[in-house]
Amino acid sequence: MIEVKDITKSFGRKRVLNGVSFTANKGEITCLIGVNGVGKTTVMNAIMGLTPLKSGEILIDGKKLTKESYEQITFIPDTITMPPTMRIKDAFDFMNDFYQSWNQKRAEELLTFFKLQKDDRISDLSKGNKAKVNLLLGLALDVDYVLMDEPFSGIDIFSREQIANVFTSHLIEDRGVIITTHEIGDIEHLIDRVVLLNNGVVVSEFNAEQVREEQGKSIVDVMREAFHV
Amino acid sequence: MKNFFKLLNFELNRFSKLYFVLLSSIGIIQIIITVLKARAYLTRANNAVLKGGMTQHEFIEMYSKFSMIDVIHSILFAGTLAIGIAAILFYIFFIWYRDWFAKNTFVYRLLTLPTSRMNLFFTKVITIMMSVLGLVTFQLMMLNIEKTIVKWIIPKVYREDLRIVDMVSASEYLPIILPQGIAEFFIAYGLGLGFVVIVFTAILFERSFRLKGIIFGLLYAFISITIFILPITIQLLMYENLYLYPMELLFVQAVTWAVIVAASLLVSRYLLKNKVTV
Amino acid sequence: MRLKLDSRAPVYVQVIQYFKEQIASGTLEKGEEIPSRRELASQLKINPNTVQRAYKEMEEAKLIYTEGNMPSKITNDEEVIKSVRDQLLEEAIQNFISSVHTLNIPLEELIPLVKENYEQVERK
Repeated sequence: MIEVKDITKSFGRKRVLNGVSFTANKGEITCLIGVNGVGKTTVMNAIMGLTPLKSGEILIDGKKLTKESYEQITFIPDTITMPPTMRIKDAFDFMNDFYQSWNQKRAEELLTFFKLQKDDRISDLSKGNKAKVNLLLGLALDVDYVLMDEPFSGIDIFSREQIANVFTSHLIEDRGVIITTHEIGDIEHLIDRVVLLNNGVVVSEFNAEQVREEQGKSIVDVMREAFHV
Repeated sequence: MKNFFKLLNFELNRFSKLYFVLLSSIGIIQIIITVLKARAYLTRANNAVLKGGMTQHEFIEMYSKFSMIDVIHSILFAGTLAIGIAAILFYIFFIWYRDWFAKNTFVYRLLTLPTSRMNLFFTKVITIMMSVLGLVTFQLMMLNIEKTIVKWIIPKVYREDLRIVDMVSASEYLPIILPQGIAEFFIAYGLGLGFVVIVFTAILFERSFRLKGIIFGLLYAFISITIFILPITIQLLMYENLYLYPMELLFVQAVTWAVIVAASLLVSRYLLKNKVTV
Repeated sequence: MRLKLDSRAPVYVQVIQYFKEQIASGTLEKGEEIPSRRELASQLKINPNTVQRAYKEMEEAKLIYTEGNMPSKITNDEEVIKSVRDQLLEEAIQNFISSVHTLNIPLEELIPLVKENYEQVERK
């Protein structure tokens, strides 16, 4: 379980996160929703130790982040995390060298699924394909938690479908997934938990099915109410 | 530990293309300068003797023999070394900043490797130091090649063959880059290492605090350097009452150096672990 | 298998409803294998946890059964199948009657209309 406890952060004078708290469980897909610029990416960066916090703490399975945690949790940001001059096979070698949790077999399986070649150079790939490689690099690690920042933004519809398929496959099996998005779209029924972020705080945190059952509301309905639209 | 060497290997490989281009360019330009200088001399000599009616002896009396010093003294030659130094100075910054910018977020990957973040620091320092050492070694090698080229072009009568050691000591700037003795070597590289470490720390200040960070970084560098030159400054100021023997002064400076470097490493470690941001 | 999902009703309930319809109509026969949790999630583009919940409830309601590590199957119990059919029919009839009742139409007028519409649909 990932516990985000009352985290605050400012960028200069702007208080971006003003006491954000939520949890994400293993075996569930948690979605952080908010408008552009609300601080979703900052939250993800903070969980990964890529940006310092002013206050608050983040625990992963009850412990603070250490370098060993990176064999347990991985981050897939919205740009590719490898030098563009690399070929896909070089990226694989790099990951294999540094991560014990790297699963070469699964990486190759994913490569085939996405219809890409090992010899492709990252800089030559289309935006959709770059996103797939990025996704691949994260999913081929045998980690417990996968964080994805806007996995669908700016991606063509077919790539989106392929990526959405990943969420129902064995690749996500039993893992804890946190994804951020500013639009729900076609993944509404894939999400277990929703965390709505607005004005630096969590305005609502709920289980999608529970809300449907108890209140007869869709995720978008709750969003509308919470954001006063 | 293994991760350290993998990272070092990776870091060195990334630089290899640039480095190769740098060294080749320097080498080629130096060879061209050597050839041009030598042939110019020979032409002058031949004109004076064959057409002008001088004897070889008279020419040599007036213009002296040709040696590598004539090549080394040329501004263009010094320029090639300046290029080398400038390139390395550039890379001292680029080696960090390249991972943050240029449309890729490789820094996300580097900072989330299951290895100590200080390994990033150390491998980058070592890459710089090795490239400096490589440049120096290359220059020595080039001097030998250039010396041979001179031998090919200029006939013995007009030429003075110098040992590398003499070439270097006769020049104004080469002794700085090609230290003449063991003590000079350690001092030069010690200072260089200290410089790189302090600059890296300043860079990390900037990467942690951005605009404010530049000020912190410069301040940090200023304070470090001030502390470092304290012993020798005091010594110079108290010229009348010299109370430290040269060896003792060297020892004090070395200790000061070690303290500054250690402090920088600790500060860098703190920044990398806790303050750096993407 | 394509399900048009309502975003305001629990997905697991809709999945169970869908299975009930298939069982009642005989499209899914007794003892027939059903897709695995993951396969169904992938086909319907829904969260596997949701499918898990639907299957669990269907298992408890004896609509499906699972033997060991084998894929789940539709029940062989004809009684159960009949009761599902009856239940769905009852629900449909109740729905029809409550919507028609507000229009105040007498039963004698209704029955021939129902017959005519039903035959029209059959002919298609």
